Amino acid sequence: MLFFRSGERVAEWCWDHGIPRRPLIALPQLWRLAVAWYGNRLTPEARRPAPAEMVGIFRRIGLEGPFWDPQADTFP
Amino acid sequence: MKVLGKEESLPDPKIPDRDSDVRNAIYAHLVDTSAAPSVADLEVRLGMSGAEIRAAYQRLYSRRVLVLGSDGETIVMAPPFAGIPTQHRVAVGAREYFANCAWDAFGIPAALHAPGIVRSRCEQSREPLTVLIDQDGPAPEPCVAHFAVPAALWWQDIGFT
Repeated sequence: MLFFRSGERVAEWCWDHGIPRRPLIALPQLWRLAVAWYGNRLTPEARRPAPAEMVGIFRRIGLEGPFWDPQADTFP
Repeated sequence: MKVLGKEESLPDPKIPDRDSDVRNAIYAHLVDTSAAPSVADLEVRLGMSGAEIRAAYQRLYSRRVLVLGSDGETIVMAPPFAGIPTQHRVAVGAREYFANCAWDAFGIPAALHAPGIVRSRCEQSREPLTVLIDQDGPAPEPCVAHFAVPAALWWQDIGFT
């Protein structure tokens, strides 16, 4: 999960490394993901979300489909 | 360490108390010092033996709470914090932390509920990137994050993810 200056730089990096281009996340969406995932991480009772909870977290911020399903067998 | 596969529902999601003590002590040490604790640090802090702490580390890894080095006791990741230097530096208050990835770089201010400054790089051009984060989120900056690995495969090679 790396930062890039632009989608063009992502495409170049993927080409150079023989890696499929996968989802690009804009900074506001990345922030929402960080808050949802880590907002309570430092509380003593924090625990890792169960797979179904993960899917719900991703869906609420607009990340849907097999790529974001932690139990998927195939990906686009 | 065994390689972890797809996410699974745990029969008991709550972390057992003693392992939870270890987890919480790791995070407290990281927040206070910007560095991961050693086993010796936790022996003093928790009054546990090194063997007990190392065993707790393994169980916490199995729960995907920690990532350990090949020695089984170096804390490489306690997400969102990195226990080793990375290209993602996050300043919060007077402290600077290392993060594991772009997501975790934003995760540190989110976890600390505080403004932060993320300093990283464009992975292709290697030019420096700086993102200011306040209570409303990141300031506008020409920058994106690329997620190269599907969620089901994150823990097959968490270092690459």
